[in-house]
Amino acid sequence: MKMDCRILWSFLLLMALAVPLSASAMEMDDCLDCHGEVDEVGEDLFIDGDKFLPTEHADMGCVTCHESVTDEHPDDGEAVTSADCLDCHEELGGQYMATAHAENAVCSDCHNPHQVHGIESVSGPDMNQQCSQCHDSIEVMDSHAEWLPQASLHISKLPCITCHTSAEGYVIVLNITQKQKKSEGLKGYSFSNYADLKEYAGEKEIQSLIDINGDNHISLAELRTFNRNPAYKSLHLSGTMVPGEISHDLTTLDNRYDCTFCHASGPGSMQTSFLALPTEGGIYQRMTVEDGAMLDTLYGTPNFYMTGSTRSAAMNIIGLIIICGGFIMPIGHGTLRFLTRKNRQH
Amino acid sequence: MAEEHQDQIYLQPIPVRIWHWLNAFGIITLTVSGAQIRFPDYISICGSYKSAIYLHNTAGFVVAISFSLWFFYYTFVARTMANLYVPKMEDMKSGILKQVKFYFLTYFLGWENPHHPTPDSKFNPMQKSVYLAIMFVMMPLVSLTGIFLTNVDPLRGLIVMVGGLKLLAGLHFLLACCLIAFIPTHVYLATLGRTPTDHIKTMWTGWEDEEEGHGEEHKDESEGEKAASGN
Repeated sequence: MKMDCRILWSFLLLMALAVPLSASAMEMDDCLDCHGEVDEVGEDLFIDGDKFLPTEHADMGCVTCHESVTDEHPDDGEAVTSADCLDCHEELGGQYMATAHAENAVCSDCHNPHQVHGIESVSGPDMNQQCSQCHDSIEVMDSHAEWLPQASLHISKLPCITCHTSAEGYVIVLNITQKQKKSEGLKGYSFSNYADLKEYAGEKEIQSLIDINGDNHISLAELRTFNRNPAYKSLHLSGTMVPGEISHDLTTLDNRYDCTFCHASGPGSMQTSFLALPTEGGIYQRMTVEDGAMLDTLYGTPNFYMTGSTRSAAMNIIGLIIICGGFIMPIGHGTLRFLTRKNRQH
Repeated sequence: MAEEHQDQIYLQPIPVRIWHWLNAFGIITLTVSGAQIRFPDYISICGSYKSAIYLHNTAGFVVAISFSLWFFYYTFVARTMANLYVPKMEDMKSGILKQVKFYFLTYFLGWENPHHPTPDSKFNPMQKSVYLAIMFVMMPLVSLTGIFLTNVDPLRGLIVMVGGLKLLAGLHFLLACCLIAFIPTHVYLATLGRTPTDHIKTMWTGWEDEEEGHGEEHKDESEGEKAASGN
């Protein structure tokens, strides 16, 4: 009898836990039934399900933020409430509210809450899209070119927030890029998307292009194999630097102006890196890369070079030997010259 | 003027001297600023990292332009490029060996240098070979890799095609080390004249003292040439 009671209580507990979960799942589907159709609700209230569902906000369910929504919505006439971003993102929001940006843009002007992803799921160019909504790219280029050497290289390769936040430290993120089609009037390299890489991978997962042993970790040997594979000659790994931690303090610190933040950070700062692979859902998934792979002399990351920090120790030693070689003649010959000086006194 | 330089020959014309000293200061500037660019966490001799970059790029530009002027001068104005810098068959067969034997053996025994510089044959066979490698291989390559490294964005396609940024940066660094290594050897060899400052003075004034006996021989040659050309 006692056993039966326990089973009954366990069953009831399970039911109690399961009900809100199923209600929440149902609720989101119900919401998207209408809000997923632009014809039903209009552009302002439309939620793109394909973009919303992969977000972490979607995992929380609609009513977590829109608490006032009832089963009778919209017939109940209740105004729909929205949570304040700062309710959850207190620290980042607090940093942001203290900046001049806060006077010009609210959180949702930069981050659509129904499409937003964490920094690890977004590419550098995607991060910059938020900035370019207000900051005209030509003006940005001109103002940087006034003082920044190789301004176009910096701006094309780096997310704005690498310099324009108070985050201390950065990680390196590698993306696969590919040659753009000349037939379409394009030149240079652009980020490969999932479909592009699927063409190379065939029936295999796209990560198999680099992660040969499928352990979700990229070794230096795997990087070298990828970079030397003639089948991938149109692809190349493009590295960028992303803040190691998120900060919304958008001030520019002095060490960004004198270049020391990145360029004098030494080879030690090059240890942590990731490979970001595009997913079917249009976001990115990071995979860890062997420590220090960025410092490989030639084939590990042949196109990731940052003066001052990616210097190779092997190259330094060879260079030092060469320079020392230049002193053999003065020292060796000079010594013999001194010792035999009497022979030339005529 | 003729009296003043009676026992001298005019070995280094003004354009060559200007080029030489411009190059010397340029290469020293490139070495110092380059060292800071590569090791900014240890070296800050040029001030901020940005100053080192601007200084390096400017000095690189000056040296590359000066190299082009040098090439233009010797090839099209003086027209002595091939004669001065390209070793002849004879140089390859025995000249280099003779010169090596002199520098590393007979010099210590007090023998004379087998090569006597004249305006038409300024360099001994060993110098010719070294300068050929430096001026025709290393300088163009270090300049070219430098041009690539200062224009990464517009030249991205080409850079990927030739093997990547790291290959170019590594090549630039190693070539720079070779050129730096050449400096102490070059300066030391410049002290092997009749007096330690003889050759250095020549590179400043243009005039070099004739070696005893050899000056007469050279004068005869010149007079013979003048007579032959009807002057």
